[in-house]
Amino acid sequence: MRSLAGLGRPSLLVALVFSLFAIAAFIAASRTGRRDLSEAGKRSLYATFGFTALATISLITALLAHDFSLSYVASYTSRSLSVPYTISSLWGGMEGSLLFWTTLLTGFSALAIAKAPARNSKLVGAAGAVLMGIAAFFLFMVAFPGNPFAEVAGDVPVDGNGLNPLLQSPGMVIHPPLLYTGFVGFSIPFAFAIGALFTKRLDDSWFTATRQWTLFAWTALSIGIVLGGAWAYTELGWGGYWAWDPVENASFMPWLTATAFLHSVVIQEKRRMLKVWNVTLIVLTYGLAVFGTFLTRSGLLSSIHTFSEGPIGKYFLPFLALLLVGGLGMVAYRLDALRSENRLDSLISRESAFIANNVLFVAAAFTVLWGTIYPIVAEVSSGIRLSVGPPFFNTIFAPIGLAIIGLTGIGPLISWRRMSKGAFWRMVRVPLVAGGVTVVALAFSGLSSPGALLSFALCSFTATAIIGEFVRGSRVYRRRDNMGPLSALNRTIARNRRRYGGYIVHLGVLLIVIGFAGNAFKVERRADMSPGDTLDVGSYTLTYEGVRTASTSEKDIFEATLAVSRGDDDLGTMRPQRNLHLAQGQWQSEVAIRTNPIEDLYVVVTGFDTDRSAVIRTFVNPLTWWIWAGAAVMLAGMLVVMSGRAPVTVTAVKRAPAKREPAVAR
Amino acid sequence: MKRVTLMTLVLVVLATPAAAQSPEDLANDISHKVMSPFCPGVTLHDCPSQSALDMRDRIEGYAREGMSEAAIMERLENEYGAAIRAEPSSEGAGIVAWILPALAALAGGALALMLVRRWTARRPPQLVDGKGEPALVDTSPAERQRLDAELGRLRGES
Repeated sequence: MRSLAGLGRPSLLVALVFSLFAIAAFIAASRTGRRDLSEAGKRSLYATFGFTALATISLITALLAHDFSLSYVASYTSRSLSVPYTISSLWGGMEGSLLFWTTLLTGFSALAIAKAPARNSKLVGAAGAVLMGIAAFFLFMVAFPGNPFAEVAGDVPVDGNGLNPLLQSPGMVIHPPLLYTGFVGFSIPFAFAIGALFTKRLDDSWFTATRQWTLFAWTALSIGIVLGGAWAYTELGWGGYWAWDPVENASFMPWLTATAFLHSVVIQEKRRMLKVWNVTLIVLTYGLAVFGTFLTRSGLLSSIHTFSEGPIGKYFLPFLALLLVGGLGMVAYRLDALRSENRLDSLISRESAFIANNVLFVAAAFTVLWGTIYPIVAEVSSGIRLSVGPPFFNTIFAPIGLAIIGLTGIGPLISWRRMSKGAFWRMVRVPLVAGGVTVVALAFSGLSSPGALLSFALCSFTATAIIGEFVRGSRVYRRRDNMGPLSALNRTIARNRRRYGGYIVHLGVLLIVIGFAGNAFKVERRADMSPGDTLDVGSYTLTYEGVRTASTSEKDIFEATLAVSRGDDDLGTMRPQRNLHLAQGQWQSEVAIRTNPIEDLYVVVTGFDTDRSAVIRTFVNPLTWWIWAGAAVMLAGMLVVMSGRAPVTVTAVKRAPAKREPAVAR
Repeated sequence: MKRVTLMTLVLVVLATPAAAQSPEDLANDISHKVMSPFCPGVTLHDCPSQSALDMRDRIEGYAREGMSEAAIMERLENEYGAAIRAEPSSEGAGIVAWILPALAALAGGALALMLVRRWTARRPPQLVDGKGEPALVDTSPAERQRLDAELGRLRGES
């Protein structure tokens, strides 16, 4: 393939010019409401996207053509790197990932603005100006300080350094694009929220126009986070999936506030309340998404995930300050126009449960933020170097997480507006009994960890509450139309996809929590083993049979063979590897995992000796399988939610009378 | 009597010596509580580098020599500085790390509770309909008529 790198930077500069023109046109359109100006803004936006995409394509051609005259290509690829990983090196380094981010941003902006309702031309104009403002910043970054088309100083190398072996994994081909999709996706609701504040169109337009974008971004971020955990589990070789590392935290913080937003926006839809809170949450979510990018790429905080650092931090901080101060300043400026149109009727109401849920999510986000930045705060304020690691986050996060799980069960049981204490008790008693029975049954079966008992009890409580909702909903169809249970369930979900899709997401979350709770029973063993030696871990016995070696153009492979048995049962062999990646001179372990819903047997070889002995590290990780299963259920639930139509409002009913449907939703 | 029984049980539990940990288990526990000097941002337990494994062996060696967890932690802190501890201490500069999230959560909770109470307290007196059930408040007859019409249309009655 021929490198088109020469097109890259000129395309970026042209895109930058178009983005600036789009800002001017959109601002004028939002002030005057003129369609021609709005159209000019849109066309400039499409051109911005077109030239940014062209720059990305030209970088991809340079990567595939091994054009080592570009510093980026020489730093992150090599001739022996396979095609999929060569393409994925687009987001393997700072400059490429910023370009990828910018392409996503301009592409999403083009789609969102093209599909926005024409009747909201002022709002769309203001949102377009905000989106293009963000795009202009990123285009400046990739055109100047983070230019991926910069040439190497001196002679062009014959071969490149290659991609970090840790990034040569299928998970890493998908994980960063999903995270970026999530981060960038939140630009759309953020821009429409700011647009609404500017144009004072503070009804539901801004979030109904961007509802699908919010759901899409949240889904992408959720799956991206889980895939990141799966990557850490299968590639890093420490037997875990979440280390509270600053970069993991960077993706988790906006997820927490976005989750709060997804819940609180329902109150605005249903009751026209919490308007200030909702715009604040979306500003915070986007601010945290940009902060995450800043953390990842500035080198401010060290992290095992910070694969590259660059001179871009000094640009990000003022940009982040502008987003947050400008966004929150606009909220303060429009405070009067954001007043709630209704009040709470009772403390025992679904609204109260949603508010409590929001307090917990935001407290969780603040905890993660505080723990992440505290080492810098302490060092700057008192000169003392401190660390804030997993013990801190686990201590503070566990009670918050469990309270959220409890509320997830209570929320659906409470009706909107108000509920008598008697009715509440009638709804909650069956889930409470289920939680109690779970505790007793597990305690009798020998489970003694209080944290795990509480987690399982709350999961049981909440699962019973949610399943009860499906049962109550489908009962209507079963009685009215004599439907079978599955058909009735299917109809129930199909008729209110947002609500029941949300419940499916909650069930997925419960499965993930069950997987987390399994950590309490983790077993770990490590041994220096010679051929013939055995190692007992949990109920398994591993017999080390020896090492096999092989070589490819990319790496020298050292593979240990371990026979696995449990009692008298032969369970086969496991073959963890320890490989030397030649281009980087870097050792990397390839984990062997034997997984099932009860537990994972996880084996990693951390070193070999010349006498063919090996250092074997093994883990028995109970219930980890449920984390990945839960993520799949969450994804299924989100697909159901996203396939649902926008809520029926009074104005919508006026325009198009709805067909007759049984009232199954409370 | 119940209180005495409960206190006795608590004392018995507290007085029962904990099962002695093997040096490997103690080293494993400690590896979760110290940051790795070799892998930025992660604990010694989670760091896959050879140097981290060597450091774990060294900690296991300390445990085999009979050193307690506190003594090992102190030794590591003397060697690597306070940043080796994976959680800030509960005194000095470290205490702020613990207090602020708790204060923020309390403040957030208190603010939400105050707002919820204010919103609910401001409601006008509740009306009661003919069946003694709480009726929808602050709706005028005209609004009710409109609501009925809209609901009728929603159900496809018109």
